[in-house]
Amino acid sequence: MRPVGRAARGLRAPAGGEGDTLEPHAMTAFSRILLTGGGTAGHVNPALAIGRALGDERTAYLYVGVRGRAEADVVPREGVPIRFVRASPYPGARPSLAWPGFLFDLLVGTAQALAIVRSFRPDVIIGTGGFASAPTMVAAAILRRLGLTEARLYVHEQNAAPGRLNLLVGRLADRVFVAFDDTLAAFPSNGVLAGYPLRRRIRRLDPEAARAALDFAVEPGRRVVFAFGGSQGARTINRAVVDALGSLLPHKDRLLVVHGTGLRRGAGALDPDADARARLAERYTEEERRAIAGFYVARPYFHQIEHVYALADLVVVRGGAGTLNEVAALGLPAIVVPKTNLPGEHQVMNARALAASGGAVVLYEERRLEGGEAVEALDGAVLASQILSLLDTPGRLEQMGASTRAFVRRDALDAIRRSICGEAAAPPDAAAPPAGGRLLSSEALLYALEHRRASTVPAGARRPEQPAPADRAYYVARAASLAASPAWETRNLGVKLIGLLEARDKLPVLLAILGDRTPAPWYKRALGGDYAQVGFIRRNALTAIARLGVVTPDVETRLSASLDDPYYEARAEAARTITALDRGLSEAGRARLIAGLIGRLGDRWLEVAAAAAEALGRVGGEADALPALLALADHRFWAVRAAGLRGLHALVERGRGGDLDALERRVRAFPLTATDFRPEFSIRTAYARLIRAIGAKRSAT
Amino acid sequence: MIYLIGQLLEGGYRAWSFLRLLDYLSVRAIGAAMTALILVLIVMPRFIWFLHRRGLVDHTRETGVPSAFDKAGTPAMGGVVMVGAVLAACLVWCDPTNRFVWAVVAAMIWFALIGLSDDVAKWREQSGNRGMSEARKLVLQGLFAALFVAFLASPYSPLPAREAGTLYVPFVKHAIVSSVWVYLPVVFLFVVLVGNAVNITDGLDGLAIVPSAFAVATLGFFAWIMGNAIWSRYLFFPLFPHVGELVVFCAAFVGAAIGFLWFNAYPAQVFMGDAGSLAIGGCLAALSVLVKQEALFLILGGLFIAEAATSQVQDKIGIKWLGRRLFYRAPLHHQLQHTGLAETKVVIRLWIVALILALVSIATVKLR
Repeated sequence: MRPVGRAARGLRAPAGGEGDTLEPHAMTAFSRILLTGGGTAGHVNPALAIGRALGDERTAYLYVGVRGRAEADVVPREGVPIRFVRASPYPGARPSLAWPGFLFDLLVGTAQALAIVRSFRPDVIIGTGGFASAPTMVAAAILRRLGLTEARLYVHEQNAAPGRLNLLVGRLADRVFVAFDDTLAAFPSNGVLAGYPLRRRIRRLDPEAARAALDFAVEPGRRVVFAFGGSQGARTINRAVVDALGSLLPHKDRLLVVHGTGLRRGAGALDPDADARARLAERYTEEERRAIAGFYVARPYFHQIEHVYALADLVVVRGGAGTLNEVAALGLPAIVVPKTNLPGEHQVMNARALAASGGAVVLYEERRLEGGEAVEALDGAVLASQILSLLDTPGRLEQMGASTRAFVRRDALDAIRRSICGEAAAPPDAAAPPAGGRLLSSEALLYALEHRRASTVPAGARRPEQPAPADRAYYVARAASLAASPAWETRNLGVKLIGLLEARDKLPVLLAILGDRTPAPWYKRALGGDYAQVGFIRRNALTAIARLGVVTPDVETRLSASLDDPYYEARAEAARTITALDRGLSEAGRARLIAGLIGRLGDRWLEVAAAAAEALGRVGGEADALPALLALADHRFWAVRAAGLRGLHALVERGRGGDLDALERRVRAFPLTATDFRPEFSIRTAYARLIRAIGAKRSAT
Repeated sequence: MIYLIGQLLEGGYRAWSFLRLLDYLSVRAIGAAMTALILVLIVMPRFIWFLHRRGLVDHTRETGVPSAFDKAGTPAMGGVVMVGAVLAACLVWCDPTNRFVWAVVAAMIWFALIGLSDDVAKWREQSGNRGMSEARKLVLQGLFAALFVAFLASPYSPLPAREAGTLYVPFVKHAIVSSVWVYLPVVFLFVVLVGNAVNITDGLDGLAIVPSAFAVATLGFFAWIMGNAIWSRYLFFPLFPHVGELVVFCAAFVGAAIGFLWFNAYPAQVFMGDAGSLAIGGCLAALSVLVKQEALFLILGGLFIAEAATSQVQDKIGIKWLGRRLFYRAPLHHQLQHTGLAETKVVIRLWIVALILALVSIATVKLR
């Protein structure tokens, strides 16, 4: 029970009170507690909360983290001594230049952590995940293996999707506490459902007191929307909020948008506040800005965030487990904009879980190329309309607030403490929140959508799990993000998914891809490449446009250009897409496309000529398509002649055959000699008929 | 075996002197061909029924729709019978002490086993998409190529020591390379490449077997010249003592191939499967190396090379790297089908091409 370093003055036994606080207890507190977890505040706060719950006034604490990260600010402020080790974020499964640095940092960091753990001699080690905890957790695992430490090792996983490190270390830990029911499956032997340990300071204050405490006026009667992206800010939220202000202007007298833009972390990093202000200056005129100032308050940071919470009707937040649980504990309805492309998509999983409980609406950011740079973005107009629809639907916010409050497990700390001290676990006070089910990988999604109909599933294979309708918005955002990826295979996947998801609002993405004429590098062009948006992407973009079924003047222009695409499959697909969009074509557009198709009948690639001939039959008329198709009679490939006949057939069916006697005379002159035929195995025909008959009888009885 | 028995008896008793005939390559070659042919004709129908009953049938197309037009459900693995017949004929008619024959037979069996395990894996998975992985196949083939190369460089090599590192090209009398360190890597790559080329070609009824028979017959012709003191001197070929024994092997192979074609001709009752196509590839590779005609194989096996090349160019350069198709379809025979040729027409035209290539190859004997 010796105090270590600067004594733990800030950590005291709780005074009790709120539902999520810890009752005073008679348990024996641990005397030496080592805490680790970090990189972001979302890992730090739970570690501090758990540490506080396990100790008392005499407990010696030590926090191990990484210099310059969230823990470096938060932990000293709480009066806990902190020591720093080296660590860097996991660079992803693919080999990359970041890997050597990551391994070096992990090695050095683990050595540092070994020394720290050996000298501090803790009773308990608590890790809450995040890369900053990796060295300490690895060191603890090593020491336990070697029998050099008696310390018990506990892990807390805050997210619905467990982090990589926690998955690894979780197996060696005495116990793994999880916040979501679904997460238990990842830790079958030692997982314990506990919930999210909230910082105890969070509670709903009295609005009148809050109004007085704030440095800006909140007129009663205004609905308050509080948007913030955490202490460091979130560019997506900041820019979307600024962009949304324009759409919110008509409601300036009944709204107040409070915007926490975030503090800059370290030199060289983006200054989120400056970025938001620059955006404001760039998007709006002097006059508009003056009007906006009447209902918009921006601050880099709110030292007393509870005061803002107390007045907020609606919050716009990121999907970190800490933020969501805080917001939920306060019963605040939320619009969640989860950060995507994180390990395990954990913010998305968290947000979906809250949305599934009815307490939140999720809007998804997507990656876009802005000036050659890939940035995550959310449309301001979409955010504004979502805000307005929530505020203007009577009773909606109250119902959401009730749902969020039910979402939280308020006894998380108590459950953790009881579990660690060996006391019987308290019965959970609420059913575990549903985490909203599994998300499909992009590849699985593609397979599922391509095999939506049972007849397309290979014999013997089960029909794939289809994406949940509630997740469509997420998948659409993901598809659009993929379509902005630097790797063409990924862009191709995104383009296919946009089509299969029938994401009509993403049509501009497809058109931009088709219009992108950036050349491929010379060594690819030398071997038959053409543009950076490779042939498959252009072909699949055309297929996707056909699936969307939307015709605009831009679409007609693109289709016309695609008939001259350098890649043969893209030309052929353009012809098929024209057929699919037939009904929506404008008169002028149709005439232009028919002329283009007639030009393609002479294409060097027979597949293109055949596709053009069939398309002409579907969209063409007596004056233009008919003579062109009849002229195919002496095409040297029978496949094109056959396509010509099919095209003529379609014309006749559509009543565009002109003088039928003359037509028949001309058609009779078609050379029918061909080098191919379809064999028919009589035994197979008999077999297929029998199988079909059995199936029909079975379904009849 | 008969060869050994014949020698034994002939030496001991005057009454057996007619067995002198067995010394002649021609007699034993014809005997081997007939043996293999008859064996295949007898065994194959039974084997086909065996495969049907065991459900060892082809699963190439995964459409899920029963069609009157495709060939799914045709038994694969017919190559096993072919390989067995060649082995049996060799056992009977070859000189079992001949290391040339051993080398070729080893190649055939090794590659056949790789193919067989692939066939069995596909059958277990009930899927044409999930056989042995391409990487594992290549490693196993590479392993053989390495052993083969080591064997050629070793004191047990059947090749004369001064020819161990020589590489001959058509139309040139002398070796253009005579360094073991250049030659052996070439052989390694050659064995792996050719080993797979037949496998890629084997996509239409009768397409792989007939050109293979042409190629093996031609290589047998080269073996006969190079093993014959008079002809090799006359045609300026290096003399490889005992290489003539390969003629018997080649004859057995051609016999078995004709027997297989009996059943494999359009519409096929049996496919050779990977067991057959890889075994043929292994034979072709080993034969070409042993008679020093690796370079000639670019002409003789031009069809196989073109099939392999189109397939690789389309897949590796086009689809995987450039993100586009460079041909309508690959390999070559599917491209031809896609342009509107019926399967039978494609097959017969490619036979004609293979025949021309074989004739050109034979012509290079004199054009040096």
